[in-house]
Amino acid sequence: MKNRVIAFLLIIAALLPVVVAAAPATTLEVVWMAWPKDMVDKLIAGFEKQNPGIKVDVQLVPFTQLFQTLEVRLPTGGTPDVYLVDGPLTPSYAARGFLLPLDQYFTPAELRAWFPSSIDTSRYQGKLYSIPYATSSAGLYFNKAIFKKYGVPFPSEKPGDRLTWEEVAQIARKLTIDENKDGQIDVWGLLIEQIDRPYQLLPLAQSKGAEGISPDGLKTEGYITSKPFVEATEFYWKLFNEWKVSPQGIPDAAKSREYFGNGKAAMMLGAEWNIARLAAFKGLDFGLSPHPYFAGGKAVTPTGSWHVGINAKTTKKDAALTFLRYITGREAAIEWHKLFGHAPARPDVYDAMPQVFNNPMWQILLEEMKKTAVARPVTPGFLEYELMLRETFNSIHYGANPEEELKNAAKRIDRELRKYR
Amino acid sequence: MDARRVGRARVDAPPGPARVWSESMFRDSRAAFWFILPALVFLCLFKIWPIAVSLGESFMQTSISGRKSFVGLENYAYLLHDDPVFWGSVRVTLLYSLVINPLAVAVSLALALLLNRRKWYVGFFRTLCFLPSAISLSVVAVIWGVMLDPHFGLANSLLRMLGLQPQPFLTSSGQALWCLMAMSLWRSAGYWMMFFLAGLQGIPQEVYEAAEIDGASGLTRTFRITLPLLARTMSFVLVSNTAFNFLTFAPVFILTKGGPMRSTNMLMYESYKSAFVNIDLGRATAISSMLLVVILVISIIELRLTRASFQY
Amino acid sequence: MRHAHRTHGTNHTGKMFGRLLTAVVLAALALVFIVPLWWTLASALRPAGSLYEYANPLTWRTFFPSRITLDNFINIFAHLGFGRALANSFIVAFGTIAMGIVVSAMAGFALAKFVFPGKSIFFFIVLLTFMVPFEAIVIPLHLVVKRIGIVNTYWALILPAVGNGLGIFLFKQFFEELPTELLEAARVDGASWLSIFTGIVIPLSVPAVVTVVVMMFLFQWNSLFWPLVATYSSRYQVVQVAVASHVTAEEAHWANSFSSAIAASLPPMLLFLGVQKQYVRGISSTGFK
Repeated sequence: MKNRVIAFLLIIAALLPVVVAAAPATTLEVVWMAWPKDMVDKLIAGFEKQNPGIKVDVQLVPFTQLFQTLEVRLPTGGTPDVYLVDGPLTPSYAARGFLLPLDQYFTPAELRAWFPSSIDTSRYQGKLYSIPYATSSAGLYFNKAIFKKYGVPFPSEKPGDRLTWEEVAQIARKLTIDENKDGQIDVWGLLIEQIDRPYQLLPLAQSKGAEGISPDGLKTEGYITSKPFVEATEFYWKLFNEWKVSPQGIPDAAKSREYFGNGKAAMMLGAEWNIARLAAFKGLDFGLSPHPYFAGGKAVTPTGSWHVGINAKTTKKDAALTFLRYITGREAAIEWHKLFGHAPARPDVYDAMPQVFNNPMWQILLEEMKKTAVARPVTPGFLEYELMLRETFNSIHYGANPEEELKNAAKRIDRELRKYR
Repeated sequence: MDARRVGRARVDAPPGPARVWSESMFRDSRAAFWFILPALVFLCLFKIWPIAVSLGESFMQTSISGRKSFVGLENYAYLLHDDPVFWGSVRVTLLYSLVINPLAVAVSLALALLLNRRKWYVGFFRTLCFLPSAISLSVVAVIWGVMLDPHFGLANSLLRMLGLQPQPFLTSSGQALWCLMAMSLWRSAGYWMMFFLAGLQGIPQEVYEAAEIDGASGLTRTFRITLPLLARTMSFVLVSNTAFNFLTFAPVFILTKGGPMRSTNMLMYESYKSAFVNIDLGRATAISSMLLVVILVISIIELRLTRASFQY
Repeated sequence: MRHAHRTHGTNHTGKMFGRLLTAVVLAALALVFIVPLWWTLASALRPAGSLYEYANPLTWRTFFPSRITLDNFINIFAHLGFGRALANSFIVAFGTIAMGIVVSAMAGFALAKFVFPGKSIFFFIVLLTFMVPFEAIVIPLHLVVKRIGIVNTYWALILPAVGNGLGIFLFKQFFEELPTELLEAARVDGASWLSIFTGIVIPLSVPAVVTVVVMMFLFQWNSLFWPLVATYSSRYQVVQVAVASHVTAEEAHWANSFSSAIAASLPPMLLFLGVQKQYVRGISSTGFK
């Protein structure tokens, strides 16, 4: 009898894995940015181990193709089930019905796990549509060797005594140097990492008290054409065209980092991801000073990054939610920071990794994220807004008249925003 | 029927009047129908249908919720009368195409003539010229970005070594479009060369031999014999080049984003922005439809012109 | 050999000058094409590092790495799934060529040698297909592929490229050069159209066929946007997607970018290298000499 029971149990035990394996696995289709495949695979493997019933098929889409791929696929139905959402695009997708409202699945207490500025970005018209995957901040990187060589004291590394933009411009003028007197600048005073992106440039205007868009997110006339906005943009114009302390036409963040990393610029206004990546440049000794502000204005820093959302038309809602919770959760955020170095959008991750974040540079940024961070404008027309403002800044940095360009931009943007009324 | 025998049969045919025969055609519509059927099916399903939808889209406006409403010619009228950037893009696109089209055809033809010989080194040179078209455009853009970097690029290092003034290249509204042309030429000359090389294989050797006996010089031979006999290849390269260049998009998207100061803001980039950023399919398809008409008209002219030289 | 006829002394200096000119042009050509490519290769063979480190100032280190490593190549194959992407692109390219050559050559033949009702309309359609930008038709095309149920399969990448307007156009142009009389003779002998097509037309048009092969191969090999839209699964990642993946919003891995671009350029290059041999003995030499 006893033997029979044992035999029976053994048979059950032997069948168990078969039964489990036979349970139909749900396959989630996920659109993700083409971050290094080996890293993403590691993250996904962790999820699949915890959730044997769910397979995740991640399509890695190169950054240049990501938004247009989503624009083609989202209007036609149920796939992808889960996708990477650029934080400020949440309202754009939500307004068009591409995102599943998430309020009923996350309690307010749960939502407190993320930075408030990130959760603000997740909401549109009072509803929650995406969950933060990472966030960002920015500060003023400086090359210590260049400062030393030309006898300029290092800027402070305390948020309390951040530089004003006026001071930055002065230092930049001192440190824009033609070393061999051949008429060519060898060291530039100041780099703007993302030379024309509103992400990087709006905080200048916001520091002077300007807003990037109306509270309802549908009008820019009177906002990007306001006096403080124009003044801040004139300062930006002077960097390239009057003082000539910043080089024109650096197309992207990666190139800016190359310039700064190779000692071709004394300062760089740049995002947090540089902390890890600048360390890869041999012989570069750099520091980080808090984000500058305009004298008499307030300190404002950019923030926000990637979020994750669920397709409103998915047929695999439960599995998608499970995945969403995992990928934005504490464990995955820790893992992803170790792998890729993104700034986690969850304060609890900073506490969990003191060995990384006790670094004084991260401490500055963490304080900025908590105190001075202002999310990008909330508008369903962010795609249009971002591109047109970017083109406008681009023209201005090449020398176009700031006030005129901003007026034109406001007209064009507002025309595009009309469709969301 | 064995090809070899056919080939030998051709020996009896005098080389010259061959062109005249080819004007005669078979009148077996049934056979012709079967020959075009597969292509017709594939083209209609995957090309003509989407093109028709896209054309239809240009007469409509799509709301945010995805509802479409017929607006007639409004998208076109707006572009032609009110759009603040459309005409600038037309100008840039025309300038680009008018320069690069003849240039690309001339350079690739010159390459083909230069490399259409039986020497040990031609395989190497042909492959070298062809290689850029096999390299991912995104990386070609990075390569050119570094070569032409205004401050620390190779081109300026070279200019400085030669004692010349460094140039702003892609960061100047006066030079950016020309840089794009240079890049396009670098990337595609070897590709178009391939078609000319293939075309040159159809020219019977004895035509040259006859000309040589007559004492025609190399240049005369090229213009009197090679080019007329290459007319069909020429019309192919001209027409496809016209379409290719008018529809230039990726280099703009990757390298200049239409700047500086809209100096490289070509029509296709405008159309792209309308479709995928401004979510304004009406404007996007109105632009591409107008481009289609322009390309068609130019192509038909090109076909007529080259057909005139079919007989020599 | 055409030079054999040139025995006059007056031509001698001219010939020397011509040779010199050819040499100069070839050298200039080599420089223009080699310098950027060589720099790319050098960057791919260096230990991963910064982009400008060796670009400025210009020294011989710019073009000759002090330490050569294959790490960047090993990395993309071992960790980033580049082999799979290569295999996918091969499947797609060969599938397209296998079907596309037949379909295009048949249509080109009909256009070149037949008179039939609707011929000019068909030719118009052929022209139309390559005059519309892909970006303008991608949305409806995606719907077509979805409706006929081939989305997220290799077929979604292959079938839309089988009907190739440029290929048909090229075949038409080349087939027109074939003497109709030849085909007529075969027809009188009782050959079927199919055997004329496969037995005479195609064998006499090897340069055209190989050219279209290269054209179709490159078209599929270089496609980036459509594969992302038409296939959803990581299984179908194609080679250009893999190459473009080394640049993200946050960083650019230059060394991987260059090594993958170079690895990706080898198959089309080798294909062309093999194929270009056909460009010295086309129909011109069949039956002569």
